Amino acid sequence: MLPLVYVTVAAVTTDLAVWRRLWTTRIPELLLNTLALSTGVAVIDLLLGVSLAWIVTRYRFPGSRTWEWVFILPLSIPSYVLAYTYTHLLKRGSTLELLWQSVAGPEATLVSPFSFAGAMLVLALNTFPFVYLLARSAFKNVNVSFEEAALTTGASRMTTFFRVSLPLIRPSLIAGLFLATLYVASDFGAVSLLRVQTFTYAVYQQMTGRFDNDAAACLSLVLVICACIFLFGERRFRRQSRFYQTTGRYRHPVPRPCTPLAALLMTGYLLIVFMAAFGLPGALLVQWTTEALVAGTLSSAFVGYVWNSVSLSGLTATAAIVCSIPLAYVASGRRTWASTVCVQGAYTGYVLPGPVAALAVLVVVLQLIPQLYGTRLILLLAYLVHFLPVAVQGMEATLQQITPNLEEAARSLGARPVRNFVSVTLPLVRGGLLSAWILVFVQCMKELPASLLLRPPGADTLAVRIWLEASEELYQLAAPPALLIVVMTIPVVLLLMYHDRHAL
Amino acid sequence: MKRWIRACRRGIPASVVACVLVAILAVPAVSHAEDRLVVYSGRAERFIQPALDAFQAESGMTVQLLTADSTALINRLRLEGARTSADVLITNDAGTLERARELHLLRATPIPDLEDTIPDQFRAPDDSWIGLSGRIWVVVYNTTMVNPDAISSILDLGDPRWEGRIAIPNAGSVYLQTGVSVIREINGDEVTIRFLQGLKKNAGSFVYGKNRQIVAAVARGEVAAGLVNHYYISRHLAKHPEAPIAMQLTDQGDEGMGMILNAAGVGITAHTKHLAHAQALVRFLVASKGQRLFAHENKEYPLNPRVPAASELLPLHRFRVASVPLSHLAQLRDPTMTVIEDVGLR
Repeated sequence: MLPLVYVTVAAVTTDLAVWRRLWTTRIPELLLNTLALSTGVAVIDLLLGVSLAWIVTRYRFPGSRTWEWVFILPLSIPSYVLAYTYTHLLKRGSTLELLWQSVAGPEATLVSPFSFAGAMLVLALNTFPFVYLLARSAFKNVNVSFEEAALTTGASRMTTFFRVSLPLIRPSLIAGLFLATLYVASDFGAVSLLRVQTFTYAVYQQMTGRFDNDAAACLSLVLVICACIFLFGERRFRRQSRFYQTTGRYRHPVPRPCTPLAALLMTGYLLIVFMAAFGLPGALLVQWTTEALVAGTLSSAFVGYVWNSVSLSGLTATAAIVCSIPLAYVASGRRTWASTVCVQGAYTGYVLPGPVAALAVLVVVLQLIPQLYGTRLILLLAYLVHFLPVAVQGMEATLQQITPNLEEAARSLGARPVRNFVSVTLPLVRGGLLSAWILVFVQCMKELPASLLLRPPGADTLAVRIWLEASEELYQLAAPPALLIVVMTIPVVLLLMYHDRHAL
Repeated sequence: MKRWIRACRRGIPASVVACVLVAILAVPAVSHAEDRLVVYSGRAERFIQPALDAFQAESGMTVQLLTADSTALINRLRLEGARTSADVLITNDAGTLERARELHLLRATPIPDLEDTIPDQFRAPDDSWIGLSGRIWVVVYNTTMVNPDAISSILDLGDPRWEGRIAIPNAGSVYLQTGVSVIREINGDEVTIRFLQGLKKNAGSFVYGKNRQIVAAVARGEVAAGLVNHYYISRHLAKHPEAPIAMQLTDQGDEGMGMILNAAGVGITAHTKHLAHAQALVRFLVASKGQRLFAHENKEYPLNPRVPAASELLPLHRFRVASVPLSHLAQLRDPTMTVIEDVGLR
């Protein structure tokens, strides 16, 4: 909360001339770009997510069960890693372009990765799993009786899909799109590597390109206001469109078998999407890493980067859990005015995109504890501000599942609050604690903008190395840290999938 | 999966202990070890590492490098004040170094025999920064599409006949900012604004963040010409020797303003705690071995006149360079930025 206040104050006290300059030169363009990018990505996400979810939940063909979980894997690739593999895949004279030219004629070209369309493609491939996941579970849980009723009244399958099935899962789609849009609006890694002007990238550019942070604060404020309007709108929309499952005649949808040709076509489609979002980039990373290992370009410094990343992330995750326990306690307990303020305050960190959060932490630290600047502690603080909500969210869900009876029973047996917490509550929430820890850990490993802006000398993290090497297009040097991050993230993503299945 | 999760649950206390250990290890006090030198650098790591490696081998010191955008480094030095751990600042732009000097972030340090190594036009008035390698801003053109005689001045690229045929760097480029500063200083604002408006119109969507992309676009024939630093041409030709590109020497003759030269340079920070070591590094970089390692790796011009430029470059004394001293670039920068933003370059 404090960081947000500081950014606001910094922005509001900024000279009017700066505002006027920004308003006439940058803000309209940035608004348009950010909006257009988010919308474009949302549309592609919708098409991909819904079609994939429909295929894997409603048809039975060889491998359909495997495909179901495969599409969560793209979530394990950070946006900047996907972006940098695509700068290679889509560059002039690449294999992909030759392939395309053999189909579409020698004059055909692919979209440039360094363009609006390129960034849209990369971000869509990175975010469609959000929509896919939610659509998948919605399609699995929808009551087929509605669809059957439509079919028996003579509606075609097409009409049924568009008039019945899709509207029924609308809340899930909205939630998925919301996640994806928020992700796009706050993404820094991909847009900075592909050099597409959006708000987050502009904030970073203003912070690094000018000798004061006023303009950056102004842009941040505009972005935060937009995010808040967006959040508010989403809440309202969700409240208005709620569907209730009618009890009684509820039946699960059963996947239909299909003809070999259809199965082949669908598998082909699934394969193409999978290769684009995960297969090809993953294979490239493995290839480059091997090349780097063979060439011996991987210096001993790499171990240092791994250590920096792991130690900082581990530390932050632990700190986040420790801080989140009381917050989650408050959040899961009775709602009071004070508790709402506390918890919502912690959430603001997540609304702030990376560079803005970094700016906020920087401003606060310089005002209050300047000694921290230039040490690793400031990085830790920035991570904490940014990812505390992840921990709180995870912990809140777990704490809510505990019945108060157990704690009350322990108390009635004479256990003091501390003992009660250690020997009753803690063992009960261990699972949630662990998953929250892992989630924060992974988010910190991937964190880029704050690390770039705030790291002290000698504290380069894996993400920073990927970004620095990828900006110079040194593919082989950027690959090992990227591969390491992806490999570390995969189990976490699968764990989420596992939770997801059991939550149904 | 379930068993795995259960196993993890059992491991929690252990992992917590481990994390606390990590905590203790991860936050060591900022060490001021005597033989460690911290270098803040705005230069791509691969063009500075060879020189630093050679220095480390020769002196036995450890050099710790922090790479970031030059302006971000200045901001950082300013914010860190006396607490900074940086000893030496290296950037690719003399304007940034001069700005650092004005902000009292650099210290005027006597370096013995400096007179014999780097000429004064490439140094700060008080020697608080010293140019190391020169880069010139040139017109690169496609040899199959352009008759180079048609470009006698950089300002020609603002002419309507180049519409849709040139590529330019984006407004964030320090090279563009320096170029525009020099053009303003010599030709005045009116000429500059007309030139930039023409440039903006002619380039259309061919605005790039990286010089390399501009050279590549020219080599492919997407555009006929572009504005880049000279070494990007050498770099492209080293990879694609048959590429139809060449550099045009502009603004020569008695009337011309001369080529626009900027320099990468080095300065010692005001609050360094390792002055002797920092001086040793600067001495190494201005002497012939350091100059070669620093400049040749990137095909720049060594500013020490005794060190010859890489063989494929036209020697520095064979053409005329614009007469704006490097130390003026800093004060020109802010109004230049305003001009650039007013014209609306992206």
